[in-house]
Amino acid sequence: MVLDLTMSLAVLSLMGVLATIAGALEDLESDVGSQSNPNSQVQLAPQMSFLHRIYNKAISGEPVSNGFSAVVSGIVTVVLLDSNVYAITSIAIGALVGALILGIFATTSFAGRVSSMTRFKQPLYMDIMRYTTPTIIAHNFIMNFCLVALAYIQYAILGHPFSIPFLALIWGIAAGAVGSSVGDVHYGAERQFQNSEFGAGLNTSLSGQIVRKAESGLRNSIDNVWFCAKFGGPATGIGLGLTVVLSNWPTTVIGYNWTAVLVGFGIVVLMAIIHRIVEVNIRNAYGPYKDHNGKEEAAA
Amino acid sequence: MAEFLLLDPSMLMNVLLIAISGTLICIGVHFVPVGGAPAAMAQATGIGTGTVELAAGSGLVGLVTASYMYANVPDASMALVLAAGAMGSMILIASAMLLGGLVYAYGVGVPFASAQVKRDPITGDTQEDYMSKGTQGHGIPTVSYVSGLIGAALGGTGGSLIYFVLIGLYSGVSSAVISSNAAAIAGMFAMGVYYVNAVIPSYGVGGTIEGFHDRKFKRVLPKDTLTSFIISLIAGILAILIAGGM
Repeated sequence: MVLDLTMSLAVLSLMGVLATIAGALEDLESDVGSQSNPNSQVQLAPQMSFLHRIYNKAISGEPVSNGFSAVVSGIVTVVLLDSNVYAITSIAIGALVGALILGIFATTSFAGRVSSMTRFKQPLYMDIMRYTTPTIIAHNFIMNFCLVALAYIQYAILGHPFSIPFLALIWGIAAGAVGSSVGDVHYGAERQFQNSEFGAGLNTSLSGQIVRKAESGLRNSIDNVWFCAKFGGPATGIGLGLTVVLSNWPTTVIGYNWTAVLVGFGIVVLMAIIHRIVEVNIRNAYGPYKDHNGKEEAAA
Repeated sequence: MAEFLLLDPSMLMNVLLIAISGTLICIGVHFVPVGGAPAAMAQATGIGTGTVELAAGSGLVGLVTASYMYANVPDASMALVLAAGAMGSMILIASAMLLGGLVYAYGVGVPFASAQVKRDPITGDTQEDYMSKGTQGHGIPTVSYVSGLIGAALGGTGGSLIYFVLIGLYSGVSSAVISSNAAAIAGMFAMGVYYVNAVIPSYGVGGTIEGFHDRKFKRVLPKDTLTSFIISLIAGILAILIAGGM
């Protein structure tokens, strides 16, 4: 389908919005289920006698599990589209099926992982399983919906040569990669060790000693997602949204030629410069680490 | 009856190109500063994820941009498709590192510091004083950021090269199943080769590497490159066989 420039940019904006929502929800789903790298602390805590009420799924690496649920959603969507079901209904049903299958994996993974920690007396809290699993499914449903819609737009409107499930798989993996690189740091380095002074760094000897008290009562995964939704989740969303928009914007505006590719490289250089500005700013704002006497302290 | 011969010079060239692509991906992954689980806890320099996860994520976005370029430009040159792939891949890594850096800076409150060098080789900034006690650095210093971009460019180029070779091969075969789905099969195969070559370096680097300035880089790169070349050569032969060649 050939679109004029205004329409192309409108479609691109829609894709960017979908990717932003998908990225944010992907990260929050991984926080509420405790997946990917920060989960190593949740897994380690009972061994350090820190019994907790945190959900512990970690089906696989974040990109793979998200790619999996997105591709299942994409396949169901295509089957329904072939049966002449409306696109929006097909995508919604497809996303639900993908999310439910991820929910099954989450349940078995949680039960299996906690069972393996019996020797450390870590209980399997059934109330945690009952109300956290639907939350995981809900987050994953929104991610699947956005990613399959994104794949549908690329395939049906923009005429991408890849099929809807394959595009959904790729965007699911990309969402997982960004979520695991960006949002997980907020969960792993800040939320799990919130009792240490902000910016003090996390000594390796503190590994496994995660915070177990919430703002009220005992901390569970819902408390974690509440905190991460303030920064880690939206940052991930912006990361994926920027990826989708900036990787398509040059070719949409300039066309499929060398100029567009060079503009793309220019955007990358610009982002490197912004990163450098952030680096300089925080070095100036925080200064070097000092010991108790105020002297500059060399790291161990 | 074989549709084309594996020992035909043009087919051998295709196999060689796939082997080179795989090797490029493998070399690219070594450049990407991944800190694994310790980086996710701000206990090591780099991006807080695994080598395979990030490299594959960025390479696949490169594949999306490269395939779209190939589909939209009649008789697209190899260089243009490869550059489009590198661009897509670099944009994902640049966004992930930029936003990841913001989380380290303002969400965790730690400055960027490398444990491998006393001064950043690019900016000359001192590193040791900005590293908190009991950690192996944190965040993404400029040298790691630049290294990551180089890695993404190599990875994106490699993935796109496989796609370029295979789409040309598969769209010309007489089997309707293969030729009508050439883009999907070429894309899927490129993804498979990408994963294989992203896994090889993760054994070599042992889960974490800061970039080209890391001591591990020089130590493990030659062995990993050779391994990757051999495995990608086998993958190239398989790519010809599944299209009906012998």
